[in-house]
Amino acid sequence: MNKKTIPLEYANNLIYELEKSFWDERGKGARFRVTTVGYKYFQEKCLSAIQSPDLDHILQTIGSILESEGIVGKVSYSQEDRLFRVRIEGCLHRPVEDEMIARGIEPFTCVPANLMVLAIEEKLDRPVELAEVKVEDGACQILLVVFEHRPTLG
Amino acid sequence: MSDTFTLADAALKVIQDRRSIREFSDEPVSEHDLDMIMEAARQAPSGENAQPWRFIIVKDEAMRKQMGAIAGGGSGRRFTAEFVTKKMQERFANLQDEAKRQAAFQKLTSGQVSAFMADAPVNIVVCGKKDVWDMPYDTSAAIENILLMVTALGLGACWVIAPCIDIRDEERIKDLLGIPEGYKAVSILSVGHPTRPHRPRPRLAINELVFTEKWGDPYYKEQS
Repeated sequence: MNKKTIPLEYANNLIYELEKSFWDERGKGARFRVTTVGYKYFQEKCLSAIQSPDLDHILQTIGSILESEGIVGKVSYSQEDRLFRVRIEGCLHRPVEDEMIARGIEPFTCVPANLMVLAIEEKLDRPVELAEVKVEDGACQILLVVFEHRPTLG
Repeated sequence: MSDTFTLADAALKVIQDRRSIREFSDEPVSEHDLDMIMEAARQAPSGENAQPWRFIIVKDEAMRKQMGAIAGGGSGRRFTAEFVTKKMQERFANLQDEAKRQAAFQKLTSGQVSAFMADAPVNIVVCGKKDVWDMPYDTSAAIENILLMVTALGLGACWVIAPCIDIRDEERIKDLLGIPEGYKAVSILSVGHPTRPHRPRPRLAINELVFTEKWGDPYYKEQS
C-alpha cells in the first residue's frame, strides 16, 4: 500500500464537495446512492476480523477497528428492539457533517455507519437502514434500523 | 360527455386520466397492447438522440415475486426509517383520520406499497445506458410515454422506483436480470388491467407552480 499521506482538511473538503454534488443532483434521494461507500475498506480491513455472527460482536469489531485506525475517537451504542443508536465521538470526517449542516443540509451518509451496515448484511443477511445522522452533544448520533430477515414473496 | 375529441383534448385527457395502479386483475396484457406500449417508449425524446433506454418485459411469476420482494424490502426499510425518526408522522400530520393514518403507515412500512409488483401480470424493467449525458431524463421521458399509452389503452400501471433507488437493491435487480455493468436499472413499471377505477390525486394549484420571468411572481394570478 502507498503510505503517502494527504492533509485531512484536503480529504474532508473533497468528501464534502462530492456529497454536496450528490445532494445537488439527487436531493433527498442522494442518501440511497451512497449506502455502500466504504465497501473496499470493509473488505480489506473489517471482514476478516469479524469472527462470529453475533450482532454485538460485529458492532464492537467495527468500532474497535475504527478506533485503532484512528478514524474515530470512540464508538458506543445502545439497542432498543430493532433500533441501534450509535454514538461516534472524534470522527476524522466530522468537519464534513459540520459543513453540510452549515449549508442547511441534513447529513445523509456516514462511512462508519456504512461499515456497520455492510458487516451486518454480509454476516447475518439481515437488512439494515441508516435512518438518521445527527450531530448532538459534540458527537455524531447514528440511528440504524436492523430488520429480522430479508423479505421473500411466494 | 362527447366521444369526439380534438387531438389536444385527447392528449390532455389521457394525461389527466393516468393513475398509479397497484391492483390488477388476472387478465393478461395482450401482445398488441404491449407492442403499442413499447412503440410509445421507443418514440421518446433523448439528448443527442442517444436512445439510451433498454427494456426487459418480465411475465414469469417466480421472477416477478423476486422483484416484488426486493422492491418491498427496499420500501419497507426506507419507510420504517422515516417512521422511527417521526418524519412520516410529520408528513401525514394533516391526515386527521387516525385509522387512515395507521393504515398508511402500515402500507408504507410493510413495503406493500411496492411489493405489489409481484402480482402485476407484466413488469417492464427500464434500463439506461450510463455512457451518455442525459440518461435519467431520457429514460424518464420513455417511462412517461409508456404510462400515457397504458392509460390510452385502458390499462393501468405504476412507476416503481423502489427496487432501484438504493444501490444495494439496484445491484440485486441487476444480478437477477443479468443487466450489464454499462447499464443502470432505472425503474420498473408494473402493468395490467385495473380492478377498479381510481380517483385522481390532488394537484397543487397552477399559480403555485408557474412564475413569470423570474422565480416567485406567479404567472397565473388566479388560482385554478
